[in-house]
Amino acid sequence: MQYTFTLDDSFLFNNGDSVTADDVVFSIQRLKYVNGNPSFLADGIDSVVANEDGTVTFTLPDVRPTFVTELANTAFSITNADVVRANGGTDGMDAAETDGAADYLNQNSAGTGPYQLESWAPQDETVLVRNPNYPGEPPYFDRILIVNIPEAATQKAALESGQIDIATDLSPDQIAELEDNADVNIWRGPGQWNHFLIMNADPEIGGPVSDPRVWLAVRLALDYEGYLQLWPGSVTPGSVMNYFLAGAFQDDRALSRDLDRSKALLAEAGYPDGFDIDLKYPDWNAFGIDMNINAQKVQADLAEAGINVTLAPGEFGIALEEYRLGNAGFGYWLWGPDINDPVDVLAFVPGGKVATERLRFTEERAPAEILELRDAVKKESDPMRRAELFDQIQVWLQESGNFAPFLYPPTQTGLRVGINGYNWHPQWVMDVAIISRDEM
Amino acid sequence: MVLVGLLVVFGWIVVALLAPGLASHDPLAQDVSQRLDKPGENGHMWGADALGRDIQTRVLHGARITIPAGIAVILFGSIIGVLMGALAGWLGGLWDELLMRITELFMAFPTIILAMAITAALGRDIRNAIIALVIVWWPGYARLIRGIVLEIKHNEYVDAARCAGATGPWILFRTILPNSIAPAIVLMTLDIGNAILTFAGLSFLGLGPPPTSSEWGSMVNAGLDNFSQWWMWLFPGMAIASLVMAFNFIGDGIRDIFDPRLRRD
Amino acid sequence: MPLQVFFLRRLLLTIPLLIGITLVSFIIANAVPSDPVSANIPQNAFDNEEIIAAFRAKWGLDKPPHEQYLTYLGNLLRGDLGVSIKTSKPVLEDIRQFLPATIELASFGILIGMALGIGTGIIAAVWRNSLADYLTRSYVVIGVSFPIFVLALIGLNLLHVQWGIVAGPGRLDFIMRDPPNVTGLFMVDAALAGQWDKFANAFSHLILPAFVLGSYVAGIIARITRSSMLEVLGMDYIRTARSHGLHERRVVLHHALSNAMIPIVTVIGLSTANLMTGAVLIESIFAWPGIGRYAFRAATSQDFPAIMGVSILIASIYVLVNFIVDILYYFLDPRIRVA
Repeated sequence: MQYTFTLDDSFLFNNGDSVTADDVVFSIQRLKYVNGNPSFLADGIDSVVANEDGTVTFTLPDVRPTFVTELANTAFSITNADVVRANGGTDGMDAAETDGAADYLNQNSAGTGPYQLESWAPQDETVLVRNPNYPGEPPYFDRILIVNIPEAATQKAALESGQIDIATDLSPDQIAELEDNADVNIWRGPGQWNHFLIMNADPEIGGPVSDPRVWLAVRLALDYEGYLQLWPGSVTPGSVMNYFLAGAFQDDRALSRDLDRSKALLAEAGYPDGFDIDLKYPDWNAFGIDMNINAQKVQADLAEAGINVTLAPGEFGIALEEYRLGNAGFGYWLWGPDINDPVDVLAFVPGGKVATERLRFTEERAPAEILELRDAVKKESDPMRRAELFDQIQVWLQESGNFAPFLYPPTQTGLRVGINGYNWHPQWVMDVAIISRDEM
Repeated sequence: MVLVGLLVVFGWIVVALLAPGLASHDPLAQDVSQRLDKPGENGHMWGADALGRDIQTRVLHGARITIPAGIAVILFGSIIGVLMGALAGWLGGLWDELLMRITELFMAFPTIILAMAITAALGRDIRNAIIALVIVWWPGYARLIRGIVLEIKHNEYVDAARCAGATGPWILFRTILPNSIAPAIVLMTLDIGNAILTFAGLSFLGLGPPPTSSEWGSMVNAGLDNFSQWWMWLFPGMAIASLVMAFNFIGDGIRDIFDPRLRRD
Repeated sequence: MPLQVFFLRRLLLTIPLLIGITLVSFIIANAVPSDPVSANIPQNAFDNEEIIAAFRAKWGLDKPPHEQYLTYLGNLLRGDLGVSIKTSKPVLEDIRQFLPATIELASFGILIGMALGIGTGIIAAVWRNSLADYLTRSYVVIGVSFPIFVLALIGLNLLHVQWGIVAGPGRLDFIMRDPPNVTGLFMVDAALAGQWDKFANAFSHLILPAFVLGSYVAGIIARITRSSMLEVLGMDYIRTARSHGLHERRVVLHHALSNAMIPIVTVIGLSTANLMTGAVLIESIFAWPGIGRYAFRAATSQDFPAIMGVSILIASIYVLVNFIVDILYYFLDPRIRVA
């Protein structure tokens, strides 16, 4: 399967260079070989070639209707090959060891967007200024300041006093308190993050939670209604497929609590009196949702089914690493899709990134039926048939998957009155280039 | 003042012992329909937290964690400190130099950073927080006791014991250590408030007991996310303040009565 | 003992201490059970032996511990504290970036503490057993007993959120750019650049955390000032001075206070050195980008080079402050000069 793209030659890089097919090839290959976090996104690309007529051809191993959607991920952004090379970058196969452009790109832009990076202080602030060579309509603001304010209470106070114009991490309780503030508007929309429990399929690591009967028992033990009361405006996800993706199970197809059946399943799995287990999760306020609160409710919910949970929060980076390496037995994480297409859910199906790499639900451990479904849906381009297959996959995940999705909070953003054009986007949160302010 | 202090401390100890009987709720019982209830609502005298748990109940139960934790730090810290100080003072010479350099080293090391590093390394729970604090707590005692041992090493009764044929260890344990106990206890009463404060500070930073715990410092921490619900952090905060204040009133009184030497610093 | 000898002797004594500090921080950093490799290499590279070997070589992890320690000491002597795993910048550079914020906060806190503590201490001693004395003595106990993180929350809630008298967390309003960097102290830099709006804003941000930090120090200083002044005021030469008809204010401030200063200086020195505990708590509540918050992040994320760097820095400050106190003693207390 091949895709050939013609480049729009009106675009220039921020230093004035024109964008060429070579830049595209360099950017994609560097992403693929540099072994960074999003490199896996390029795994499914066999080759990228610059043609003599200035077009670019991507070759994929098989038919993939979602490819264009995948390319919309920010990781596929085109960078200026000359500049990146001059600053230590490479797109060679050994890029993981030899590429040294990160330091440069951490402080400079080499792209084509309306804004370019002025400075970046990790965990502190990011400053964007207009790209002078942007061919389109120049964005409204000269400069955009993205400030990390870890405490949500501080963020709220800063918004109320007008120090900041947009606050993205307010908790549902704080949003409720801002309702009456005449200086603040609330933007409401579907959420981005699915909150779920993870259970490792490897008995060595997961112990009791590596049993598929326990997976379902855990799902049936959660008090879904309760989480909605904790976080007003949320919904209960019907599956681990993110709520806004086409065909995702909505709350009408979500599981309900059934403690009796949960206990029966536990007994069947050999745990009539429950078991002890650690719940590992990051000590983190996830976009206004304090994960500690949910973890404590999970602990209380599962106690009613006889499962004795000990909470083991860890610093974000450390918890993430344990999870990424597949060493977390029982944990609590969240997920925002990498691709705005239902195929994103395949990460949670055996063989997929989360199920297999992080939770060791390998293809060998999985029944043939789900693997066949997965292979079929990847190649399917008929929308009706595709929807049917995704329906079946979600039913399977609900019955037999090793995840327990329990909360889908809304996106609620606080904006100062006068800020226009804000729109939430599931991948890049907001497009700062289309935001403006009423002239006073 | 000492009397007030004694009364408050005694009160908290009674609370700690009888918490299950005194409290109106179960400290872990969640009721999400009553979350963030204001003080007085639904029978929550001091309000409810983000999971609908009764704040008053949790503060009362918190005394069962914070008081023993403070005592444990002081107790283990003083035991190690007294032994190290007595050994240094008694052995003298090179040993004294070595032990005192080690003591000085731990005094120079920033308490909170050492404790943070230790809890980060060992994992987050009450036991590890106490271990971390004991490691930074003993040097004060070692210094004090060494001074006392040096002073009484050549006292008449020690000389007398030695003349009577007593051996080194016997003298150390029968004459010198008993004489060191009183000042050590004075220092302990002066110190316990500080130990409780530091322990609460550690758990406020999220390095103490896990989040479900009703330990006072971690309750204040949980209140940060609900800053406008002041009852979530103010009541446990005032509990820490009242207990530490009471201990310090007692400590001040004891300092004035018993030990003019300590008055100097 | 002449000053030079005294000075040298004290200086030599600090050397084993500093070496010991590096050793302890090294042991703690290496006692951490988790493997720094797994925490710092992207997952995809995890099966790549070459990358892992390169990482181990870079951090000296392929050598036995004592060699690692010697390597570290060698680098330290050259002023190289290693590279922070979390920020991927040299630890020294991180310290240079975060330390000024803490210095600004701590020095302001100490100043407030000294002004409050010495002032109330003198009043309490001069009018012994008066109402002012009782108030001071209660304040002393409350000041040292009240958890500063709770005091910070109360202050933030009332003074910032409810009444809006002072600015909130951070060193400046978020929309303000930092003043041109000269000293790293925002108030000083803003004044140097003549940016008086920034000066006022920085002050408004600084005053509350500094006051909270200072309140604890004030309690300790007030206690020692009062008792030290009482002792001195009871002495013969003060009575003599009074009987010679010297003005009371002159007696108290000139004769008594200067003699009561020795213990006060000690306590101020000690509290300066121990301010770090308070700084970690205050900086985390007030989102103050200082060394305390840096240390906290380093500790929770097991960033060994940063933990070691900060520990050595703070301990060296402690040693330095003690050294200065000793030197001050030399001038304040004639007995040391004789001994």
